Amino acid sequence: MMMDDLKLTALPEKEVPISHHRFEPYVDNGGTVLAVAGSNYCIVAGDTRMSDGGYGIQTRHYTKVFKLTDKCVIATSGMQADTIALRKRLDTQLRQYERDHGKSMSTPAIAQFLSNTLYHKRFFPFYTFNLVAGVDEDGIGCVWTYDAVGSHERVRFSSQGSGNQLIQPLLDNQVGKFNQQIVDGPRELSAEQALSLVKDAITSAGERDIYTGDFADIVTIDQKGVHFEKFDLKLD
Amino acid sequence: MFLTRSEYDRGVNTFSPEGRLFQVEYALEAIKLGSTSIGIQCEEGVVLVVEKRLTSTLLEPSSIQKVVEIDYHLICAMSGLTADSRTIIDHARIETQNHRFNYDEPMGIESTVQSICDLALRFGENRKDGEERMSRPFGVALLIAGVDERGPQLYHSDPSGTFTQYHAKAIGAGSEGAQTTLQEKYSKTLSLQETIQLALTTLKQVMEEAVTTTNVELAVISKKEKKYKIYNKEELEAVIATLGQ
Amino acid sequence: MSSEHFKYPVFGQVDYFKYNNVASQLASHTPSPSHSQELGAKKRTVDPIVTGTSVIAIKYNGGVVMGADTLLSYGSLARFNNIERMKKFGKSTIIGAGGEYSDFQNLSQVLDDLVVDDGCTDDGTTLSTTEIWNYIARVMYNRRNKGDPYWNSLVVIGHDNNKSFLGKVDLVGTCYQDNFIASGYGSHIALPLLRKAYKEDMTLDEAKTLIQDCLRVLFYRDARSSRFIQLSIANADGLVITEQIALDTDKWDSGDSAKKKKNQDGRKKKNNYRNDSTQVILEYGHNVV
Repeated sequence: MMMDDLKLTALPEKEVPISHHRFEPYVDNGGTVLAVAGSNYCIVAGDTRMSDGGYGIQTRHYTKVFKLTDKCVIATSGMQADTIALRKRLDTQLRQYERDHGKSMSTPAIAQFLSNTLYHKRFFPFYTFNLVAGVDEDGIGCVWTYDAVGSHERVRFSSQGSGNQLIQPLLDNQVGKFNQQIVDGPRELSAEQALSLVKDAITSAGERDIYTGDFADIVTIDQKGVHFEKFDLKLD
Repeated sequence: MFLTRSEYDRGVNTFSPEGRLFQVEYALEAIKLGSTSIGIQCEEGVVLVVEKRLTSTLLEPSSIQKVVEIDYHLICAMSGLTADSRTIIDHARIETQNHRFNYDEPMGIESTVQSICDLALRFGENRKDGEERMSRPFGVALLIAGVDERGPQLYHSDPSGTFTQYHAKAIGAGSEGAQTTLQEKYSKTLSLQETIQLALTTLKQVMEEAVTTTNVELAVISKKEKKYKIYNKEELEAVIATLGQ
Repeated sequence: MSSEHFKYPVFGQVDYFKYNNVASQLASHTPSPSHSQELGAKKRTVDPIVTGTSVIAIKYNGGVVMGADTLLSYGSLARFNNIERMKKFGKSTIIGAGGEYSDFQNLSQVLDDLVVDDGCTDDGTTLSTTEIWNYIARVMYNRRNKGDPYWNSLVVIGHDNNKSFLGKVDLVGTCYQDNFIASGYGSHIALPLLRKAYKEDMTLDEAKTLIQDCLRVLFYRDARSSRFIQLSIANADGLVITEQIALDTDKWDSGDSAKKKKNQDGRKKKNNYRNDSTQVILEYGHNVV
């Protein structure tokens, strides 16, 4: 009634497409991990930066390398929430296995088991990029490298995560010594050489990859067990 | 005693006032009717020998198999209602293959035996939807031989779901006599060859008929190869020849 | 293609005489509810509606301080001006929430139930802040797995067994601990400030000042923030959530207001009007309280 009196009319309309913006369940928190295995050691490095999916850093102290057994670690980059869920799954299954079989799971067994775990979730994958590293039952260093849905391969060295493209060719050249005519000394790196190379590699990734930096966890695995150390990277 | 027995031996899940499950005890009796099986573990491996009862000359001996594969590193011999062992062995084969699928490694011997014994107790009226019907205890006992990272092992499992590890064990009709012999003759220092000899001679003693290549089966798992081997006719013949005397 | 399009009124272009049947026209302007169509009646947070903005918190020597404003926005509308966005759970934990407030209320119920159930077991132990934080992380992650997230970022502070706790969880289940944390716009604006200003072993007063400074800067730039804030503190003495505090936001002596100041009495005046509420009214033309 009053509207009629006032001769109010509706506002003119504009038609715009509805943005079908849906909830995005995945976030890439970035980060780089790498591992080098020798005949009796395995060295793993992972930075501790956790990005917010963009240019922001959420925390500088998020560790990407987890001890699974006395002979095995898992290093994971990608989405942190998925990483945690995956790690918790592995942890409980590892304990279960220990109870059932009266021994802790061997590194090759963990490697196979992780593949199955990832593959079973392939229609809603864990957005995680993993390395399983450690020593096998004979004390020989070993690394497995994965994609998000469980494809895996046993290798001597590998890297995963946002700095992968920067580090993998370096390892191919310096650890794999691929296509080299002249190689000074033995082809295999000593544990000390590998340690120093791994530190250089992750530092190099930190130079160019904005998702890599702050600190690095350097993890050495051998017959004696798993040893963690901290290593400074650039904060920028 | 007889009175209470007849009252409490119907339900498989009913204890008698003395605390016994008669159906399980009867199942244990069934084993004593079965043909003899002997298992001996030594430093180098495990040996299984079984008697095959050839009830008729018209019977085809190769149609009876009493030593069966569970996995490459795991075999078993049985006494009692051997048809029941089909269920158990199917289960064990699935378990060991699942283990290989999940962990890319052979399953541990004890874990496998444990999973067999878990199955053995799954009888009775209460069962979950979709679970296979198991109305009574298994009427079969198994000797399970295998090699894993803990070395060669021999286990005995029975219808009560109990499993025990043995250095040497006999089951079936001739088990009492055989066990006594084993007790006397067993030594931890036996070589694999000596163990085979002991197993066969012990079996020979409790068998009514003479040992031939058709009425015994012999299988060995050596620690070195971690793979079982069932002796064929020629190999068996060679072993039997050495028994001589 | 109508389902793919949304009609919205264009303000400032009103043709008052064009339509006669006003009521029916108005009805067509009612926006459809924003739960997703293809899922039928099932409701889920596909967009936050009533939202809180940043929460910031820092550890200090002996405890943790957290701060958040008391504003809830409805899009660009400042909808509710005096709502607590920080809530106690149990005897040692406070959670500060940003994002969809109804989701936080729902989560609060879940957590209250958890705390009550834990109390009912009467086993002499209570949930530690770490445990609550972990639990929230699992709840948030499970909800994101269902595609029906709690649209929040939650800052969790606490103090038990003589240890301070400060952690954060977001809507996809990302969770971490740190010495200082800022959520929402705070992660863009306050976090760089905190990185510069934070030092270990701050006193409570220093920490409170730092939080207030951060919230003040946020108020200057975050259009969905408010001048009215609360602080909460977790330390050995227990938990405190303060009354509403009005920030002094007149410290920004630059731009037009600074020029005016100079021109009013012809000489440069600096900061001596800071706590003068009349000045505030003069400056802003209204009483902001």
